[in-house]
Amino acid sequence: MPGIDECLLEAMRLPGARGAALVDWTSGLALGTVGDAPGGDHETTAAEAAELARMAAEHGAFTAGGRPDDRPALEDVIVSNRDSYHLLRFVDTSFDSSVFLHLWLGREEGNLALARIRLGEMAARLVLG
Amino acid sequence: MTALRTPPPPLPVRDKAVTRALSPMLTRLAEERATGVLLREHGTLYLAEGRVVHAESAFAPGLDVLLTAHGTLAGAAWQRAVADTPGPLQAAELLLDLGRLPAGALELCHLDALYDAGYFALAPSSSPGRFRYDNTPRLGPLPSVPVVALERETLRRRLLLHRLWPDPATDSAPLVRAEQRSASPVTPRQRAVLDRVDGVRTAAGIARNLGRQAFHTLVDVRRLAAAGHVVPAAQVFAHPAPPPPPPVTDPDIALLKRLRDALEAL
Repeated sequence: MPGIDECLLEAMRLPGARGAALVDWTSGLALGTVGDAPGGDHETTAAEAAELARMAAEHGAFTAGGRPDDRPALEDVIVSNRDSYHLLRFVDTSFDSSVFLHLWLGREEGNLALARIRLGEMAARLVLG
Repeated sequence: MTALRTPPPPLPVRDKAVTRALSPMLTRLAEERATGVLLREHGTLYLAEGRVVHAESAFAPGLDVLLTAHGTLAGAAWQRAVADTPGPLQAAELLLDLGRLPAGALELCHLDALYDAGYFALAPSSSPGRFRYDNTPRLGPLPSVPVVALERETLRRRLLLHRLWPDPATDSAPLVRAEQRSASPVTPRQRAVLDRVDGVRTAAGIARNLGRQAFHTLVDVRRLAAAGHVVPAAQVFAHPAPPPPPPVTDPDIALLKRLRDALEAL
């Protein structure tokens, strides 16, 4: 059963992966980081990514279509720029938390569709074993 | 028409240029990679080789509450683990060892609880902390945090709360709904908090009731206060404040007061 570090290291094995982190979107704290961060600073990146994740998680436009079991409907936030992708995957825990996996992916080598599927699987394994 | 609202201020980023420490004692404990127990007014930190392995505070729900409140772990399973071990950290390690919970879930919940209780343990206090050298805490399979990292995160969290709403009264007072209902929208997580505001519960009580991290609840409560949904209960039921002491001009007393203030700032 993977822990946080194993999960992040697994994310780094995806083609084009530059850096990964597990971030709390309420506080902006990075609970684990691996690899590089834009600008070289994981803490700043975590705080900024947390802003984006929180906005998406709190606004009805993005969370519509909620599931009947009251679990959050939101799965990912994807940002693309000329050079890279940022993939934020919400982790659905059975206890109360507000965390997401953040994967920074080089655009040349990265495969966004593959990364999205794999990151979803990793997020589930992280908390479900 | 769309409902526009002022976005909350950005999450603060730790200022690496500032090396201000919460307490010189913590800096010293980190430098000497101390092992033992730091007892402070609002909580306790367990240190092994200068790293925080576990934190407890009466103001933060522990790992047990976070794990059992939503059925992640059966209450009886936690009780059995506690009965077989000397403390809650060891109980969590036993659960990990037995494979009762996925490692990732337990690590995440452990870190959440550690930073949460650590925030309150490092809160300003009216008496200085005491450190007891003790070989019991040790680095185990669950993640630990350098004491300096916990300290910096605590400072960052204080700044975050201050930016959301500068009045700290809602952090500790019983909460009541504002008389004039605010029209500002409320997020689903804030709604759960607001529904538990009853004039008796404090933010810590609401967090425990929801099985949520106390700091997360402080964030929601400060946002609700900023939006005009909640206010701290009027202090009418509290003991009346003692009359202010007469002004002091004696230099010895002034020195003692400065010393007291300095100790309180630790």
